[in-house]
Amino acid sequence: MRSDLAPGGMFPDLELPDHNRVVRSLRELAGGDPLVLTFFRGWWCPKEQAFFRELVRLQDQAEVAYTRMVSVSIDPPEVLAAFRAGLDARWTFLSDSGREHLDDLGLREPTDTVHHPYLPTTFVLTPGLVIHSVYNGYWFWGRPTMEELRQDLRSVTRALRPDWAVAG
Amino acid sequence: MTWCWFAPVESLVGGELAAAAIVSGDGAPGGLLAAWPAGRKPVAHALRMDVRIVDPSGDRCWVSLVLADRGRAPIFDDVAVSAALRAVLRGPAPDAVSTLVRDSTHFAGAVTVRRHDPGLIADDPFARLAPQRVIEVAAGLFGRTAAAPGPGTQRYSGHPWPVAGFDA
Repeated sequence: MRSDLAPGGMFPDLELPDHNRVVRSLRELAGGDPLVLTFFRGWWCPKEQAFFRELVRLQDQAEVAYTRMVSVSIDPPEVLAAFRAGLDARWTFLSDSGREHLDDLGLREPTDTVHHPYLPTTFVLTPGLVIHSVYNGYWFWGRPTMEELRQDLRSVTRALRPDWAVAG
Repeated sequence: MTWCWFAPVESLVGGELAAAAIVSGDGAPGGLLAAWPAGRKPVAHALRMDVRIVDPSGDRCWVSLVLADRGRAPIFDDVAVSAALRAVLRGPAPDAVSTLVRDSTHFAGAVTVRRHDPGLIADDPFARLAPQRVIEVAAGLFGRTAAAPGPGTQRYSGHPWPVAGFDA
């Protein structure tokens, strides 16, 4: 992974087609909210299927918590659309089927020489795409638990929302 | 500004951002659909709508127009409204969509725009909440927007979903 993709660094504002083939930018997708950005191998990987079942559960909280989620793989848009629908995911999936950013980000999975997919990696970003936390999921247990993501999102949201203290 | 006024009208009243004739549909009298800039309310029955779906150069389209009577409008926090928003996020994504807002609490309706899948227009999740009209609208009012990023279903500062961002 690129050395600057670490907490405090700026994540590049990627532009890629979404699962509807509409080109989207990360900054646009983040809007003014915290963003959970996941790079994943592809729909075929059992580890991704297990991880995404957890993300779908997190989605039920993210949908009411002013939080965005974006997932990126090398699958073409129509495959992403099918994977997304099968999961009942309601966030945006981006397709880098041309592998345009895979090497630039240093996120090429080293062992899969058939699909040449992304290294499973999860970032929690501020709306300005500043990296709050990074999880290398090459080994499954390197991935964040949903509790870790909740803690990260609490921290980003606390810093982001000027009226955080109103309730406290 | 993130929102505009929207209303069906019999004729132009002045100051429109854009307007277009209802050219066919459910047999009800034609008339116009019109949008006006945020600010002074142009007609008594005008509702707030996401301004991004307005495009004076937009092509002819099919529209699902759902309007909830004031006395029968569910609140936005009603689980039925949340379910409809989730259904929209699941897709297939329309060309454009906005909920309609009358006050800070209630769901007043929705506008859903499609051009290539007229069969889908009747299957509008918002039609489960209030009476629906399926109409064909002339060019000059509705554009095309990217799908809402998801998974958020909450409004920001009472704006029409999917307008994002809290007022400063």
